[in-house]
Amino acid sequence: MTTVPSPIRLLLVDDEEAYVDVLYNRLGKRGFEVTKAYSGGEALQKMRGREFDVAVLDLKMADMDGIEVLRIIKLMDPDMQVIMLTGHGSATACRQGLELGAFDYLTKPCELDGLVAKIRAAFQKKQQLEAQ
Amino acid sequence: MTDAEITPPEVRVLLVDDEADFRSILGKRLARRGLRVLEAPGGHEALELLQGDAVEVVVLDVKMPGMSGLEALERIRDRHPDTEVILLTGHASTQDGVEGIKAGAFDYLTKPIEIEHLLQKISQAHDKIRRSRAEREEAEFRERMKQQMVVAERLVALGTMATGVAHEINNPLAIVHESAGWLKQILDSPDLKGIPRRPDFEKALDRMEKAVQRARRITQQLLQVVKSQLAEMPAPTELAEVRLKDLAKECVTLVEAEAAHKGIAILVVSQEPDPRAWTDPYRLAQVLLNLLTNAIQATEAGGRVTILLETTLEEARVVIRDTGCGIPQENLTRVFEPFFTTKPVGGGTGMGLYVSWGIVNQLGGLISVESEPGKGTTFTITLPAKK
Repeated sequence: MTTVPSPIRLLLVDDEEAYVDVLYNRLGKRGFEVTKAYSGGEALQKMRGREFDVAVLDLKMADMDGIEVLRIIKLMDPDMQVIMLTGHGSATACRQGLELGAFDYLTKPCELDGLVAKIRAAFQKKQQLEAQ
Repeated sequence: MTDAEITPPEVRVLLVDDEADFRSILGKRLARRGLRVLEAPGGHEALELLQGDAVEVVVLDVKMPGMSGLEALERIRDRHPDTEVILLTGHASTQDGVEGIKAGAFDYLTKPIEIEHLLQKISQAHDKIRRSRAEREEAEFRERMKQQMVVAERLVALGTMATGVAHEINNPLAIVHESAGWLKQILDSPDLKGIPRRPDFEKALDRMEKAVQRARRITQQLLQVVKSQLAEMPAPTELAEVRLKDLAKECVTLVEAEAAHKGIAILVVSQEPDPRAWTDPYRLAQVLLNLLTNAIQATEAGGRVTILLETTLEEARVVIRDTGCGIPQENLTRVFEPFFTTKPVGGGTGMGLYVSWGIVNQLGGLISVESEPGKGTTFTITLPAKK
């Protein structure tokens, strides 16, 4: 019996709803299983109900600082990989994020292909961690 | 600054006396002592000579037919304030000397003159000229520094605001970008193959993506500058001793084709065999390329762009000079501002010099500009020469 590889489970977190919506559509077409969260709080709530492989997380949101969300994600599920998005290019925040265990970061607006490649690489890392 | 001002020149003296014999004998004696002597028989002739020739000290007889010595003194002081005048007065006419000093003479001597005495006075007058010249240069330097500080403060304020704007714009930009991409993705699906006016949709989406890319370049440049200003990034770790001649030549290679195409020569002139700076070669090259590109754009066929490299013990200087159209005075203090451009719409973002300024600042250096409309523009970058 052959097993079809299950799609990468993705959590999109950004308070720019229009951005989340359109990215949801595009990444869905690329074969990801995408879940939307319009705030940091919503993201954490969604994480309680089910498991994700990779999160794409905006660093600047109204309700919670993205760094704070990252910290909690890593406490809840250390294997889950987080790609930070920033419109700011703030080097300090990105460095802090990497120290807290984020996989990588991208500056908005970014190319979809670049984001997809990062998500796949992050997923691979998660699989390696789980295999250990 | 010309070379003549750097090395103290021999003193140039103009001897004005209506007695030809007295003039020529005194002139020869002074010339033997190493002075460069010009002679004039009267006030009018003296003023004429002064117009063509830079003279530091005038030795002027008070009693002359035609224009009197005192009148000549007044006119000289009026037209050539940098020239000092020593008066020669007749025996027993101290009054003339005193009047002369009131009118601005450096000093007066009574005839008959002792040559040593005159030489001493000339040398004192020359010292005074040198001192006031040095003071003036120092005042000008301070003024330039002050202006540079004012410009720098304004740039920081503008930059902080512009970066805030850039940051806020990146989010909606990302939405436009993704939405255009999403529409393209839909257009590519099999069920929309035969959609009417398909090329129109594709063209419009293409334009949206290109416009987003353009806006993104601008926001990225802004963010790059502010990173250096807020010292958010650690000091660049790539600092190294950079051979400026090699770097300059590398940059020239990259713009040579463009310059040759326009008929412009690029020269690298190095004042020392091997000038070096302690800096980040990659970022400095970014600045040089930007300045070179601007210089080529501003210069007509047959013109010249020169890169001049100089070092002192503490500083390295890279000077980029063109023979182009120049920058009008009113724009000169604004060229480093973000978004300041005189190029037509779409021709430039007005970010190049602003980014260059930010980089040089981050490298611990200074960048300044001088220009004469119609003659050309000179950008000077000063960088640390040592660690």
